[in-house]
Amino acid sequence: MLDVAGLVAGYGRVTVLGGISMQAGGFGNVGLFGPNGHGKTTLLRAVSGLLKPRGGSIRFDGEDITGLSPRAIVGKGLIHVPQGNTLFPDLTIADCLALGAYSPRARPHEAANQEKVLALFPKLRERWRQRVRTLSGGERQMVSIGTALMSHPKLLVLDEPTLGLAPKIKDELCRSVLDISKSGVPLIVVEQDVEFLLELSKHLYFINHGQMETEIKPGESLAHSDIMAMYFGH
Amino acid sequence: MSAAELTDAQDRRAPAGAAPVGPGRLPWRREAVAMLVGFAVLALLPFVFTDSYSRHVLIMVFIYAVVASNWDLSLGYGGVFNFGHIALFGIGVYAYSLLTKLAGMDPWIAMAAGGVSAVVAAVAVTIPILRLKGIYIILVTFGFAQLVMQVIISQSEYTGGTQGLVRIPTLYVFDHNMVRDAKFAYFYIALGLLVLSTVFLRAFVRSRAGISIVALRDNEEYAVSRGISLVRQRLITLAASAFFTGVAGAFYAAYQRNASVEVFGMSLATIILSMVLLGGTGTIYGAIIAAFVLTVFSEAMADFGAWRPMITAVLILVVMLAYPGGIFGMLKSATGVFSRRWSPPS
Amino acid sequence: MNTAADILFGGLFQGSLYAMMAVGLALVWTTIGVFNFSHGVFMMLGAYLAWQFVAWGLPAYVAFPLAVAVMAGAGWLLQATVVRPLIGRANLVLVVVITTLAAGSLIENGALVVWGPRSKQVPPLLEGNIALGGIGVSLHQIAIIVITPIILAALWFFLTRTRLGLALRAVAQNEDASRLVGLNVTMLYALAFGIAAALAALAGIFLGGYRFMTPVMGADPLLKALIVVVFGGISSISGPIFAAYVIGFFEAICSYYFGLYWTPALLFAALILTLMVKPEGLFTSGRSRGLA
Repeated sequence: MLDVAGLVAGYGRVTVLGGISMQAGGFGNVGLFGPNGHGKTTLLRAVSGLLKPRGGSIRFDGEDITGLSPRAIVGKGLIHVPQGNTLFPDLTIADCLALGAYSPRARPHEAANQEKVLALFPKLRERWRQRVRTLSGGERQMVSIGTALMSHPKLLVLDEPTLGLAPKIKDELCRSVLDISKSGVPLIVVEQDVEFLLELSKHLYFINHGQMETEIKPGESLAHSDIMAMYFGH
Repeated sequence: MSAAELTDAQDRRAPAGAAPVGPGRLPWRREAVAMLVGFAVLALLPFVFTDSYSRHVLIMVFIYAVVASNWDLSLGYGGVFNFGHIALFGIGVYAYSLLTKLAGMDPWIAMAAGGVSAVVAAVAVTIPILRLKGIYIILVTFGFAQLVMQVIISQSEYTGGTQGLVRIPTLYVFDHNMVRDAKFAYFYIALGLLVLSTVFLRAFVRSRAGISIVALRDNEEYAVSRGISLVRQRLITLAASAFFTGVAGAFYAAYQRNASVEVFGMSLATIILSMVLLGGTGTIYGAIIAAFVLTVFSEAMADFGAWRPMITAVLILVVMLAYPGGIFGMLKSATGVFSRRWSPPS
Repeated sequence: MNTAADILFGGLFQGSLYAMMAVGLALVWTTIGVFNFSHGVFMMLGAYLAWQFVAWGLPAYVAFPLAVAVMAGAGWLLQATVVRPLIGRANLVLVVVITTLAAGSLIENGALVVWGPRSKQVPPLLEGNIALGGIGVSLHQIAIIVITPIILAALWFFLTRTRLGLALRAVAQNEDASRLVGLNVTMLYALAFGIAAALAALAGIFLGGYRFMTPVMGADPLLKALIVVVFGGISSISGPIFAAYVIGFFEAICSYYFGLYWTPALLFAALILTLMVKPEGLFTSGRSRGLA
């Protein structure tokens, strides 16, 4: 579904991604992992159009989306939940979810998607009129993911959804992410927690120095020691 | 860690290309030679331009250059958006006018008093903005300028109100005739003012105090945690930027021989601020070069009448849109004379 | 009785004008994070356009809305030329101050060339005077006092109850997140500027029906609007509206008891005191858009 080929991207004089390639969405979920500062977030920002790629191509659903605006990409159903769940601090949960359904593609499904989101995160119903800034980290992440689901995703991209959360909340959120996956939306998930990624997907990429250093295809096994070796050198 | 150690650390390790360090990174000897050559060239100009009109334009360039380059100290280096800077100039104008005309003070002493008055006013306006940030500083200092103007207008029995003051006593140099020398003496007084002001500003920004205010601008929390006092440095910055601005105002009053509240107006503020920004902030020299370019350009447009401010506005817009680094950045990239290490903050 | 009526009426009238101006400034600030220093010039241009349309023979009820609509377009044009290309610059706030000042100077001097320095007046919204509470009041001023809250309420409704208004508030809070839900950030910036310019034009028509117009008529209202947003805080729309009326009444009271000359000085003193006690403005809930 998503096909990234030879993608080059960076900020100012710095090139972060030096020709990276990956496929996702065609056969289940995809997990990305690797040390911080090596291009995972940059890759996702380029895919969702926040960052204009300098080279390479991105195809989604058979169409070339390289260099399109985020709005156009959202319109095609590729939805990105960025890292850090800052969202809109002074909007209520109701406002955020309404904004999620802003694109014409998502508008007809608004009511149905809202039901789904509230079934997935019942807590949001309790806090319906509360501002995002007053919510806990876990609740904000729920609003972030909920807002993305309101955009009626064909492919959902999550950038470290459990970053900085307490273990109990993290487990809860991981279960919700698995539920989303079961409901038929393929995911691309960036996570430091490889155990969670393995639960989610049999197809992982290890990103290092702006490159796809290792691809683990479904069927290939992966031991904990292998992962350690990837992070700390062979 | 003290400011001194910060200085040492920066001297040892030259910052990388785009590092936003304001103070001069050029060796001071080379800068002193360049400055000397530059001012020597300026000092020879009256022998090339012997008519009083050309000299008048140059005198105005020097006055604007002093005001703009001092503004660059608080704005470009200190990062304090003091929109009352132009009021400091106005305070110099009125302090000189009132002291010489009403109190009968000696013009030269009154000129220094103009500078001191501006410093006092700068300290007064700094107190309410000490706790403020960014846009609030713009608004309060802008309001301060308006307040000063309103007070001057309301005290019309002394200040002449909106009519202004005329026949203000002028400067004297022994018994040299200031009127019949085609502005020869005024030229050198104005140039002397610019030289003193520029040497002061460059020495200030290269000093520990200068480096500490840049540290505050770039990372306030870090600088404060390193022992730099925000309150003291902000007061020093604004007071330092005020003195020569006030003296320039006093000189302007002595030279024009009249004072009006127009010196507080938005149009003058826009022109001077354009010089600071067009020149490229955080360089001092940029503002001086831009003062030259804009003033001469504006004079060259004198025949266009009402179109002149419009053409100037378009020029400002074009440069601002096309050259983020200002004229100074433009010259630098064009000539490559200055090392890349010495880059103004973008 | 006369005193109370004078103050009440003066406060409401000035407050209305300040509110119309300040809301536009605040809207642009919260959405884009810049201050538009040509806002006062928008006000002037709106008034002159209205005058011009009336002079061409259009009836006021056509000329006024037309002037407002043209100014909305002018606001869009201004942001597209001197604001939008600068987004992303490190010292955006400062650069936009100078580009909007320069653009304002261009428009102001253009108006001087086109219309000349002679004072003009647009027809009032309503002709005639009535006696209220012992003082004579023009119907034009009454109309302004009544219309302004209606327009501000409509704006508030738009911002809080419609999806487009919601989008405008969202862009103000997080630009990247706004893009990721598919908002057209460029269009929303233009919209904020357009609305602000339209409100300024309306304020200009209000003022131009009451006082003589000059090409520099926008300077003082701009200053007052700046003071209002400092008082009210710049992170919301309701804060500046309240502050506008507070300042309107403050001025009415000051000029009644201390005279017109001392009013600006007293206002500024009050402003400084306010900022020393509450640096984020009087009516804020704590959020502020950081300065770049």
